[in-house]
Amino acid sequence: MKNILFIAALLCSFATKAQVTKVAIQASGLTCSMCSNAINKSLRSIDFVQNVDANIKTSTFEITFKPGTAVDFDKLKKKVEDAGFFVANFTATIHFDKVQLVNDGLVTVDGTTFHFLNIKDQVLDGNKSIQLIDKGYVTAKAYKANGKYTSMECYKTGLAAACCIKDGLKIGARVFQATI
Amino acid sequence: MRKIFLLVLVFCARYAAAQELFVFTEPASNMAAKSMGFRLNNSFMKNNAADKLNYYLNPEIMWGLSRKIMVHASAFFSNTNSKFTGNGGSLYLKYRVLSVDDIHNHFRLSAYGKYSFNNSAIQQPAIDLTGFNSGYEGGFVATQLINKVALSASTSFLHATDNSSEKFLLGDNNRNAMNYTLSIGKLILPKEYTNYNQTNLNLMLELLGQSNLQTGKNYLDIAPAAQLVFNSRMIVDLGYRYALIKNLERSSPQGIFVRLEYTIFNIY
Repeated sequence: MKNILFIAALLCSFATKAQVTKVAIQASGLTCSMCSNAINKSLRSIDFVQNVDANIKTSTFEITFKPGTAVDFDKLKKKVEDAGFFVANFTATIHFDKVQLVNDGLVTVDGTTFHFLNIKDQVLDGNKSIQLIDKGYVTAKAYKANGKYTSMECYKTGLAAACCIKDGLKIGARVFQATI
Repeated sequence: MRKIFLLVLVFCARYAAAQELFVFTEPASNMAAKSMGFRLNNSFMKNNAADKLNYYLNPEIMWGLSRKIMVHASAFFSNTNSKFTGNGGSLYLKYRVLSVDDIHNHFRLSAYGKYSFNNSAIQQPAIDLTGFNSGYEGGFVATQLINKVALSASTSFLHATDNSSEKFLLGDNNRNAMNYTLSIGKLILPKEYTNYNQTNLNLMLELLGQSNLQTGKNYLDIAPAAQLVFNSRMIVDLGYRYALIKNLERSSPQGIFVRLEYTIFNIY
């Protein structure tokens, strides 16, 4: 019963249980302070967001989270888009507990699955920053360029395909594309 | 189309960033979803026939329905009949069709439509759905922001119906026109952004034209404007409209425009 509920939760909400220290988002398509304020207000309206530190000049937003809450990366991206702009860079600082990374492979951290591309095989231990490179998390140009590092279906959809089942994932589970 | 915009911008590029909210036209960008804006548009236009100023008041509400769609509702008031009267209203919708964004840079294309109803006497052959004529308008606007400057161009088709008080001046066969605009804007202050409370100053120059599709007559106005932005949510605009080409006649084409605008984010 617990497994069914867990899988259902995974499919319905992609909020991560991983310990996310902070997220830094650089937005594209704006220069003016009123535009930046629209994104600032949009991010602050999210219930799991503690604080947003905005740099108008560089269009970056450093976001910290309320303790004990699950962070939904897709919701952060959606709030930038709701303000009328797009995400150009999304860097999440996450606590890793001796996690082995394999290039073009999947890894699950506290129930959240990442597909790492264009990296050297390595072990992550402690607070480390990773960049999410899903569609909509980088510019269109960058997304197209990164496509050469993998042929896995999940890069196009952000969801686990049949090839991912061997890693214990259900088809359609959220797989975040990432690099370091 | 994008290459033409970039060529023009090469000649205009300066340091610092640019705002891209124009005074006399709407840019291709949308409001934030779930935000609302309130405008008081005031025009003080020299009446060509009499030695007086016509005053036009146009309160406007703007609503960001989603990231791609926004709607405006306006009411029209004026003192042209020696007393202050309500003349009608309009509804406007803008849909963002395309957005290609990069850091401090975007190209956007939107489609828009407008419907106006009006009860005032018709005193000019030019079609104006902002306070003068009943009718419809549909068009496209494209805006290029490139770090330092914002450039915007629009074109639309207008059709005048009869006002509730009287028929359209040019009769049944001359009710269609094309509007075309070209706008450029640049941020002057602040020199460097440090916080949301800095006052922004933008300077703009807009060209606003119309051609009647049946008579072939046209007008072309030049409209310089200054825009102040306070606390990244309140805007005060000051503009002046001057007619360069006048063979498509208007009763009061020249004058001063003053607008107060306030935006509330995350209304619901």
